[in-house]
Amino acid sequence: MLISRQWIESLLAPAPGGARLDDDAFADAITSLGLEVECVTRYGEGLRDVVVAEVKGIEPHPGADKLRLVDVFDGERTIKVVCGAANVPDPGGKIAFARLGAVLPGGFEIGAREIRGVPSEGMICAEEELGIGPDSDGIMILPTDWTPGTPLPEAVPGIEDTVFELGITPNRPDALGHVGVAADLAVKLRRAFVAPSDTLAEVPTDEGLVSLDAPQRCGRYIGRSFEGASVGPSPLWLRVRLHRLALRPINNVVDITNYVLMLWGQPMHAFDRARLAEGRVVVRLAKAGERMTALDDAKLELVAEDLVIADAKQPQALAGVMGGKDSGVEPGATTLLIENAWFQPGFVRSSARRHQLSTDSSYRFERCVDFGARLQGAAATAERLLTELAGATVTGGVDVGGTVPVPPNIVLRAQRVEALLGMRIPDDEITRVLTGLEVALEPSGEGTWSCTPPTHRPDLDCEEDLIEELVRHYGLDRLPSTPSVPSEPPGLRVDPGQREADEQASLEDAVLDAMRAQNLHEVLSFAFTDPSDLEPFGVPADRTVTVTNPLRIQTSTMRTHMMPGLLRAASLNLARHARAVRLCEVGRIYDWPESRPQTSGPTAEVDAKLPREQRRAVFLICGGARQAESYAGSDVATIAASVLGRLGARVQLRPADAASAWLHPGVQARLDVDGSPVGEVGEVHPDLMRQFEFPEGIRAYYGELWLDGLQGGHVARHQTLPRFPSTSRDLSLEIPIRTAASSVVDALVTAEGNAEHTADGPRLSQGDTAGGAIEIVEDYRGKGVPEGHRALLLRLHYRAPERSVTDDEVQALHAAVVEAAVAELKTAAASIRVR
Amino acid sequence: MLRGVSDDVTQALGAEQQRFEAALKEVGDADALYELQVQYIGKKGSVSKLRGQMGKLAPEERKAFGMAFNEVKKAIEAALEERKEAILGAAREADLGRVEDLTMVDTLSAVGSIHPITRTRRELSRVFRKLGFDVVDGPHVEHELYNFDKLNIPADHPARDMQDTFFVDGQSTKNDSNLVLRTHTSPVQIRTMLGREPPIRIVAMGTVFRKDDDATHSPMFHQIEGLCIDKGVTMADLKATLYRFVSAFFGSDLKVRLRPSFFPFVEPGAEFDMECPFCPTNEAGEKLPSCSVCKGSCWIELGGAGMVHPKVLQACDVDPQEYTGWAFGFGIDRMATLLHGVPDLRLLFDGDVRFLEQFPC
Ligand SMILES: [Zn+2]
Repeated sequence: MLISRQWIESLLAPAPGGARLDDDAFADAITSLGLEVECVTRYGEGLRDVVVAEVKGIEPHPGADKLRLVDVFDGERTIKVVCGAANVPDPGGKIAFARLGAVLPGGFEIGAREIRGVPSEGMICAEEELGIGPDSDGIMILPTDWTPGTPLPEAVPGIEDTVFELGITPNRPDALGHVGVAADLAVKLRRAFVAPSDTLAEVPTDEGLVSLDAPQRCGRYIGRSFEGASVGPSPLWLRVRLHRLALRPINNVVDITNYVLMLWGQPMHAFDRARLAEGRVVVRLAKAGERMTALDDAKLELVAEDLVIADAKQPQALAGVMGGKDSGVEPGATTLLIENAWFQPGFVRSSARRHQLSTDSSYRFERCVDFGARLQGAAATAERLLTELAGATVTGGVDVGGTVPVPPNIVLRAQRVEALLGMRIPDDEITRVLTGLEVALEPSGEGTWSCTPPTHRPDLDCEEDLIEELVRHYGLDRLPSTPSVPSEPPGLRVDPGQREADEQASLEDAVLDAMRAQNLHEVLSFAFTDPSDLEPFGVPADRTVTVTNPLRIQTSTMRTHMMPGLLRAASLNLARHARAVRLCEVGRIYDWPESRPQTSGPTAEVDAKLPREQRRAVFLICGGARQAESYAGSDVATIAASVLGRLGARVQLRPADAASAWLHPGVQARLDVDGSPVGEVGEVHPDLMRQFEFPEGIRAYYGELWLDGLQGGHVARHQTLPRFPSTSRDLSLEIPIRTAASSVVDALVTAEGNAEHTADGPRLSQGDTAGGAIEIVEDYRGKGVPEGHRALLLRLHYRAPERSVTDDEVQALHAAVVEAAVAELKTAAASIRVR
Repeated sequence: MLRGVSDDVTQALGAEQQRFEAALKEVGDADALYELQVQYIGKKGSVSKLRGQMGKLAPEERKAFGMAFNEVKKAIEAALEERKEAILGAAREADLGRVEDLTMVDTLSAVGSIHPITRTRRELSRVFRKLGFDVVDGPHVEHELYNFDKLNIPADHPARDMQDTFFVDGQSTKNDSNLVLRTHTSPVQIRTMLGREPPIRIVAMGTVFRKDDDATHSPMFHQIEGLCIDKGVTMADLKATLYRFVSAFFGSDLKVRLRPSFFPFVEPGAEFDMECPFCPTNEAGEKLPSCSVCKGSCWIELGGAGMVHPKVLQACDVDPQEYTGWAFGFGIDRMATLLHGVPDLRLLFDGDVRFLEQFPC
């Protein structure tokens, strides 16, 4: 929203004392009202040396056919200038003349020049060259009665102006015009607001002009008919004003509607009455399928919810949004029907969205403009200007009403003002501000008022809204910084769910710190991704969560897995440099669960409609393209063990029950803690490496932890240290290559658990020479071992807690354990044997 | 005859000693030395064996032989000890001659990093916990009821346009699922008010989404919001809390200012700015106008704030006549870029390790 300083000033009485604020202070005052000034632009500086001048004579240029020598009188002397325009008026005509030293927009300074051998001391200007209009077709022709020598900014005051760009929040429809901003500012600056004094002329009521068939959708319609209009260019002052506010001058009638829009903030529409069937309008709902061509040539197919302004036959405007092409005012029109109306905001918004038309008009109607005094004021200003500038005569009018909002009655209490703000605002300031804002105020007791807001402030709906008005004008900068006393000490109570939230947060922190300690770099990937990235993970379409209106395909599907994010980042790194890449991330994945646990509580009903969100911690490592460093699957397994260890969890690596398709089939394992799966590790499947455009020959390793299944806050319990040495026995087993070592270990542990023991005899136990009770000493493949097999050399450690053990008793236990375990293993793979 | 035995034994002792001394000269390491020790003075060593001959001697000869034997044994032990020291000394010298150049170690790859946004989130948590706030979060996919309706942003109101929203298809219905990617962390305020009794002091922190993508907007970003509901809570308290927060966060006394603005869920609403902590100062400690962060204004716009709208309180079954409350919110990503001087938001989401490793702590 662009605001002209000059225009605002014309709506304010002079400041007490007459001091003029500079533009920055003026901008600060506007911003302090919540109408944020986003940009300040000064125009017309340097145009003081552009003056009204009279053409005294024209001669051909001796050296160029298209140039002419023009004698101009600038009020002081006659000067010869070279001019290339074709439309130089005959002697006596007036033009805009830039004297030597004038600085045109863009910093172009006029100096004495020679053009094809003829000296030229100044320049005859076009609108566009002066930055006061869009016209660059020939020079400006000024009215002949203007006095030569008058500086142009004096002849057209709008040339020198400061324009403020305001960011108007959606609650302030009243500030979408100069009148509203000026009225607000008047209260702030303690200057009187001078409203435009236009009134509607007394004319015969013409009931037939407007039929209001949809009063619930149109709250008010002022229709006025005009005759004898002459459509043509607007005067320079109007063109300049619109140009300063970034509106393109079109013709006087259209320009007047735009001028009124910018002055009052009230949209209006002009119909060429001659082009309306029966010369009248009907405000009605559209018939489904009815068609209309909008002013911008858009072909609309209307639905029954659209409100239209129709003539006796067909729609001529989409109410509050855009006029129709067939009834627009073009040169040659002489009879007009001028609409100033109020339409129900929500429906204007739906129509505009439905037809994808966003206009200055719909923007304001959606926000609920005034249906009262400002609507009428807008109609009156339009009427005066049509009379003055287009020579039109108003011949009749009608003002019909439908359903409009009823301004509320609000009780305002001085004590509540203080209770909410923590600052007292004096009673006389309360009455001054609210009265200034046209709130009707009735004292209704000590420090209490009964208030009715004006119709142009639909946002004022409750006591707090009025308190905001007070603090805006009294000054938010006067608010003290005073802590309130809490009614109970913070942290006294542990709220339901907070303990769990804190545990989750510290679990994530711990995992992240542990991953960082493994020299991993934390990345943040987008939670949505390209659906093709998720294809390898085989989540059915009805389980994925889809964005209805994505920015592009890459933001269309909520990730069901974290791996693509890391693959993208790693691939990008390898494309940019040749270093090793070690990444990690903590994030959420999303899906529609097949079933979900029953929950209760105040949000359960809503939560049941939401997708499932699960937390994951993931990591990925790969060697750089030109780096000797290369990783193996064991590296990610070690990282997983270390990160889980940070949580006090002892991880076990096990073959997956069903292989994950996104990992290499031969290089992957499940992570178990206390017998439950909590994640997986492995090598990224070569197909994915290709899909994510990794350089040839690079391998990446990946691991993920399912945080929702993990518990933080583990409290470790002490166990007595062994006092007697351990004894070991070696076992060499020949097993198929695909049989996991962990299966062998598990079978041995189970067999030992089932074996017969004496009460104080030896048990399989963590050895003095190794980390575990069963140590894998060697994994041999090659000579002496059959094809498809490997020889696993295991070392089993035994000890008794309270005494030394003898070789015989260890040997007996060991033999029993091996025999039972091998028998068990043979049921899965018959070729297993002891070497 | 007896005399002969004595002479033989003494002679043998002397011979063994000479043999030992000759062998000792050949010994080069600790293992060989130990072997030598075993060979001569071990349990079954050649010298030790001679002591067994003592029984064959006449009682009067035994004393003399015993003394001779002990002398020889001591001499051998001393020679062994001396040689051991020499060998260890030589080994130590050799060991000290070893060179490993530790200056060649790649230290860069040995350090992991925490993302600047996470680091900022942790720091915010720390400060707000200290100020007595619980830290909470909620679902990323939200229902419009919590993301808009209960926050006084009705359907078909232009206030919804303030945030470009990503909508989400329902599980079975494509349209009218009323699901969105949350556009702010405010639905967590609603969830908290529905689930807890006042007094409430929370900050909600997390990922949010808006349909926006350019140099200054990312479609996914992070937000923090504070909410305080209690009896007698005022806007002056809001200002005091914001002041305490920015001062604690930046570790210096920084002013806070409020400017009127509009957010549908607060009334009165405001934007809040903080005094710029980055302005360079001259020797006298005065701020210089050359600051690139605040562009010389000395203020940094942080976010929005205000008193919780009575309609929001009512929507969460809190009586606005009994309780008042305030809320504020701002972007974590911007805070992170300010703190770390990151010029472009997109760097945050690229995952380039050369960027990430700049934030090792
Ligand atoms: Zn600064």
